[in-house]
Amino acid sequence: MLSVFSKPGSALLIVGHGSTQNPDSSPPSHLHADVIRARRVFGEVACAFWKEEPSLRQADYLFDKREVYVVPNFISEGYFTTTVIPRELELSGPVTTRSDGTVWKYCEPAGSHERMTELLLRRAREVAPGVRESEASLLIVGHGTGLNDNSAVAAKEQVERLRERTQFAEVLATYMEEPPLISKWDELTTAPNVVVVPFFISDGLHSYQDIPVLLGLESEPTAAASERDVFRKNPRELRGRRLYYASAIGTEPQFAEIILDQVAAFDAKHGTT
Amino acid sequence: MGRLEDALALALAEGRCRIGQVLIASGDGGGFELRHRQDAGRTDLERFERAEDARALGTKDDAGGYRPLKTAPTLRRDWVLALPDLSAVCLALDYFYPAALGQWIAWRESRLRITSLRQTVSRQTGMYRITGLITTKQADELTGANCGSAGGCLRTILWKLENDGAELTSLPPEKFSAEFDQTGAGEAVIPLFCSEMCNILVAAARPKVKGEMASKP
Repeated sequence: MLSVFSKPGSALLIVGHGSTQNPDSSPPSHLHADVIRARRVFGEVACAFWKEEPSLRQADYLFDKREVYVVPNFISEGYFTTTVIPRELELSGPVTTRSDGTVWKYCEPAGSHERMTELLLRRAREVAPGVRESEASLLIVGHGTGLNDNSAVAAKEQVERLRERTQFAEVLATYMEEPPLISKWDELTTAPNVVVVPFFISDGLHSYQDIPVLLGLESEPTAAASERDVFRKNPRELRGRRLYYASAIGTEPQFAEIILDQVAAFDAKHGTT
Repeated sequence: MGRLEDALALALAEGRCRIGQVLIASGDGGGFELRHRQDAGRTDLERFERAEDARALGTKDDAGGYRPLKTAPTLRRDWVLALPDLSAVCLALDYFYPAALGQWIAWRESRLRITSLRQTVSRQTGMYRITGLITTKQADELTGANCGSAGGCLRTILWKLENDGAELTSLPPEKFSAEFDQTGAGEAVIPLFCSEMCNILVAAARPKVKGEMASKP
């Protein structure tokens, strides 16, 4: 479903995590903002970040518009969406009216949208074209542990849905730091082809540098994605299997559509326009 | 035009055609040209024409190092960004110096929210909650070590250390002056304001507090 609404009197703020270490963390948020800005759905579109600029605290000064929809570009509900973003933006609930009269509407994170399953499946099929699902295992890899256990729960939910909708030999949720560990991918699967899709927003530290080492694709972390001339080739023959490694799900261009869908879902849920 | 465009037009009319390390000039065939201030007058610059190109231009320094702090005095050189109108210039400036134009307008209209260092560290949670324990002296040292205009950050600091107004002593007086050109070139600028400590400084406060706690007998 394409989002077809028009909100020229409102602004859209896409909130990303950002990174002080890796230049590839924020580009997906900026690229989704570019797509939405070009479509002129909103009067103004900007990004803000926890670890980059503009910061969440500077978001007040980005817009002329008096109404701002805030969509967290995060993979799931969790510490950042329930604690950090509301605290930094001074949000008191789904709708916050500030003393200056501006209205802030806090939408669900992009990754929570039901269309995420469709995107994961699209990415899995794109990275392994021509591979029969019955001859392939699909692994969704999330972070696991830390302050945000919800990302692990979200990955499990996606796996349940993918099992129902596809013919893959098996579909499993795996993690970097807790069992089932992605580093044991060959022990966890049985099919000759193994497709791995990172359940992350960007090809930053985890999906581009850490997970390839855990998979055995690299012996040590490589330079950041943007600093490498050659992107990885699929498949790789490894541990007696053919391994297909996708880029992070959040880099999927359709993610811009999901951000707009979360705005539409907010209006539907809260009876706002 | 929006408020940001209006404010930029006003700034340019006042002769404030520099912001941070960026020079804003009229283009040869109309429109505007942005370039590094030290590249003024050069004609051998690589040309870019999209406001979004400012993102890539601001991401790495001349040595290829990542610039997580956009107001660090490390903007790369050798480029010119030709843009058709004020709206595109505002968008590009929001990539070079995020929210700076909006903060400047808010300051002129006396509605820029200024938050003391103590208030910022006190509201932290998770791994940064410990920064709430920073002492006034530690905070002063931390800011002096990280925020100086020469090698740290080109913003003009507006916040105080403590809620009672305790001042920073580790940086020179001009670091707090809205009219001072923090590059040291002494030209009229749109100032880059720091209205509260940034998350890079919050992150740097954590090892400062933990390290000095660990070293106590």
